[in-house]
Amino acid sequence: MSGSNVWSRSRERLRVFPELLAQCADEAAVYGKCVAATTTGNQELKKDLCAKEFEALKTCFTNAEKKEAKVNNRI
Amino acid sequence: MNSRGVQKVLQGLQLVSSAPAGRICSPLSSWNSRPGSGSNRALSGSGRGSMNVFNREMKKRQKNWAAVLQDGHQYDYLRDEVGSRVADRVYDITRTFPLALDIGGGKSHIADHLNKDVVERLFLTDISQHTLKHRRPSEIPTQCILADEEFLPFKENTFDLVLSSLTLHWINDLPGALRQIHQVLKPDGVFIGAMVGGETLYELRCSLQLAETEREGGFSPHVSPYTAVTDLGNLLGQAGFNMLTVDIDDVQVHYPGIMEVMTDLQGMGESNCAWNRRSMLHRDTMLAAAAIYKEMYGNEDGSVPATFEILYMIGWKPHESQAKPAKRGSATVSFGDLGKISRQSSTKES
Repeated sequence: MSGSNVWSRSRERLRVFPELLAQCADEAAVYGKCVAATTTGNQELKKDLCAKEFEALKTCFTNAEKKEAKVNNRI
Repeated sequence: MNSRGVQKVLQGLQLVSSAPAGRICSPLSSWNSRPGSGSNRALSGSGRGSMNVFNREMKKRQKNWAAVLQDGHQYDYLRDEVGSRVADRVYDITRTFPLALDIGGGKSHIADHLNKDVVERLFLTDISQHTLKHRRPSEIPTQCILADEEFLPFKENTFDLVLSSLTLHWINDLPGALRQIHQVLKPDGVFIGAMVGGETLYELRCSLQLAETEREGGFSPHVSPYTAVTDLGNLLGQAGFNMLTVDIDDVQVHYPGIMEVMTDLQGMGESNCAWNRRSMLHRDTMLAAAAIYKEMYGNEDGSVPATFEILYMIGWKPHESQAKPAKRGSATVSFGDLGKISRQSSTKES
């Protein structure tokens, strides 16, 4: 492949996805519990039902991503 | 996605909200009941080739891509395992097969476990040329043919044995393909197949479904529709096979997370190729699905399971030598005599 392009960059981002998610295990568990609760309870799953929990997860994930990129000089 | 589809989805969700978590999504697997969508793959009725669920051209490209991967052999574990179990079933039949056909055999995972005493000559077909090029060497003389499973280029009554491992789940017209297999078999020939079915990858399907619903307000199918084990018997019977044997095997593979599940499926050449698939997955949805998968199905050690439900089927082409049910009224003993048998033997001993 010819140098760094959008495909190689996005593949690289996906490759580190599991490591970054491991750093946000708590937020992920909270979000997962919120969604899983709808499968057993009376509430049906609607869009953005667990938006708050997801925002927390997303922020943690984005911070972890920024830290990782800085460490690996990807920025 | 049209609003009618979304409404149906939400209705479906309401219906199953009382089901235990983890199985919630199984009834939803047939939510897409629009004509021609082919989500319920039981019986396609009279229309031969009227079902067009999968993009076969795309599947060929995916298999070619997977075959030339640098470390492609690391994704072969599932095919090898199922191939060895199919070979077990071949050994169970105490016959030597002069001519055998392996449909969609890929890298020849089944012949890997067979020897020359059981199968004398083997024909290997696949739609992907590169997969055939990378096939494992085997002591059985093999001929490789580039052919689509739905259009077998063989004469009637040619083969003593037809094998198929993990390839029938990508066929559009499954009844038609089974009929063709029935045709190319010699009378008293046997078809031994293994396909993924039923509840395969239900964890992946549910996680993606819930994540897409929560993040985007609706969802689209990401995992292809599978044949239920109950329908398989009907399909084989309709194709003309008799003395059927169908059994299920649950293979659970543990992965670190959802990304590894998807990467491995891609490496196996099992990426989705249904016409109705969405071409992308939002990053947010991926993140949400990863969290849901781990929370709902994760094990204590942090890994997540992925279930592959393998359906094994054995069917024979009719022949006079095969045992038939006896004619009505031809019984010579009655069931009532069963009790007398045990009493007779005990009096003999004393």
